[in-house]
Parts: sequence; structure tokens; C-alpha cells
Amino acid sequence: MRPDQDIGVPHGDLLLAFAETIIGNDRMALDTARTALADALGVEAISGASAVAGNFTKNDRVANALGIPVDPPVLKGTEELREQLGLNGYASAQNTFRHM
Amino acid sequence: MNANVMNSTVIEMALYKDSEFPVRADLEAAHQAQFDRFGQPGTWGSGAQRIAVIAAARQACIDAGVIEASEDVGATSDVDLPKVVRDVIATVAVSPKDVDLNFYGAAIGGGLTDAEYTEIVGLVSFICNLDVFARGIGVTPRKLPEPQPGEPSRLRPPEAVQEHAFVPTIPNPPEGGGRAKAMYGSFKPYIMRAMSLVPDEFADHIALERAQYLPLEKIMEFEFDYHDGLTRPQVEVVAGRVSALNDCFY
Repeated sequence: MRPDQDIGVPHGDLLLAFAETIIGNDRMALDTARTALADALGVEAISGASAVAGNFTKNDRVANALGIPVDPPVLKGTEELREQLGLNGYASAQNTFRHM
Repeated sequence: MNANVMNSTVIEMALYKDSEFPVRADLEAAHQAQFDRFGQPGTWGSGAQRIAVIAAARQACIDAGVIEASEDVGATSDVDLPKVVRDVIATVAVSPKDVDLNFYGAAIGGGLTDAEYTEIVGLVSFICNLDVFARGIGVTPRKLPEPQPGEPSRLRPPEAVQEHAFVPTIPNPPEGGGRAKAMYGSFKPYIMRAMSLVPDEFADHIALERAQYLPLEKIMEFEFDYHDGLTRPQVEVVAGRVSALNDCFY
């Protein structure tokens, strides 16, 4: 990831920092990221951002551990994006590619 | 019941009353329901076995430094989990990127059934989710409930077949028949159907998805904002970054 790059979403940098620290092992960094996010978006945004982070913590485990493939319509529409982001190199990509 | 008693009851029931950040009532209720479900007999595990699985997953995350230990963990279980179960729990909880077809094969070769494996993955994924949420809003992991008596239902849906996941799944309608129509409505992507081999865990997965991400019928409405203070693009920034850090291709 390039932290200097503007991702085009308001306060995207703060959201990225929160997403990284909420599942990381640096509690002080999380506390800092949470405070910055609350200052920028309001205290009510914290539970929403935490809920989404938790939900995808769940979904990533469900997807990887149960070995589900990406559904064909999504696969077709994301070829360029997957290449750009290096997603095809993930080990879990095999759960899709072994069926092709 | 007078208002004061009613109010105190409501406050006592609030799962996240100690957080300084507001939590939507339906989200809090969904989490409370999931904590209650943890202690109840499941499809393949007893209440005590399920609490043992959840406690082991939480401990693995504490040992890895991604969840902070709490003084009051709530209920514990004296169930001695087999090594194959402990291995599945530790890897799914802390390093889900390392699960592949060989890992799954080893779990099945070690004595787990595909349905038991599915229920364990569900429990581990759910507690990781709830503990990450608690960490995000600045509170300690919530107490685990007491295991409830009773036998697992041991109901395996006959509609589940081997599609393209590691485990059997119930296909979308019409192949999945009436059960698929009742569970899915119309077409559902794999991430929604992944745990359909254990319909009770499937239902919990969907309930959490609805409360924490979006009502499923709104997923393709990109202007729909569900979380206070966050636009849909901002939601997707968090979702995408977490999934990238977990090396989740899906």
C-alpha cells in the first residue's frame, strides 16, 4: 500500500489506518487511529467502521477456511482490478483457479 | 413494571453499555443473540463443546496479540478438545490465509466430518468478528455465556452437494430445491451459501452480515448508506483493506 496516495474517498487515509490497526497487534496505534477517525467523522462512525471490519474478519475466515471460489460474474468483471492489485497471487486464489 | 425498573433492565441488558461510542440498537441485539447462541447446543457440537471452541479461538487471538485479554472472560468449558480441532481453531482464528485444500484434507483425515469442520469454522469466525468489533469500539471482549444443556440436532440437509467449495453446500434454486428457496430466496453468492451445510450457522452468518454490513437486498444500491457517519464508499474502504490484509481473494 502507498499511504501517500489519495484514494479518492473522504478521510480514506484515516479509514485505512483504522482498518489496519483494528486487526493488528499495536493497541496504541489503534487508539490513535480511532481518535483521529472520531474527530474527522464523528463518534457515531466508530461502531459502523468496527462493525464492517469485524464482518469482513468473519467473511475472510469463512471464505478461506471453507474454500469457496469467486462467483463467475464477479470474476469476469474484475480481471483488470485483480491484476493491478496483485490479488491473483493470494494463496486463496487457488480456490477459484483450480476450477478453471 | 415502572419506568425506572424498565430502564434499569434495558441498561443491564445492553451489551456495549461501557463503550463511549454509540452502537445501533439492532446491531447490539444481533450481537447479544449471537453470544446467546454460542452457549446453546448446535448442530454437531454441544453447548460445552461450542464454548470450548470459542474460548480456544479467543485465546489464540490473545496469544497472537490481536485481542487484549480480559479479567472477566465469563463462562469456561472443561471440554478437552482433540488436537485436530485445536489446530483448526488456531489457524482459522489467527492465520486464515494459511488454510488451503491440504489443510482441509488434514482436518478431515484427522477425524472431523465436513459438517463438524463447517460448524467450527463458523464459531471461530463469529467470535473473531465480535472481538474485533469490541476492540474497535474500545471495550474488552465480552463475557462468554454459560453452556446450555441439550443434545446437538445432528441434522444434515440432504440437499447439500459437493459444488466448488471444500465442503458441500446447498446449491442456489432451482437445483437446491425448496430448502434453497427458503434459505436464499433468489440467487446468493458463495460467501452467503458457504455454511449452508449447517443451516443454523448459515442463519447466524446471515444475521451478522445484515447487522454489520448491509441488508442483503441493498448490496447493489451503491448510494445506500447504512452506518451512521459513513458513506458506502467509506464502508468499502474498511472492508477492502481488512480483506486484503487477510489475503482473501474472495
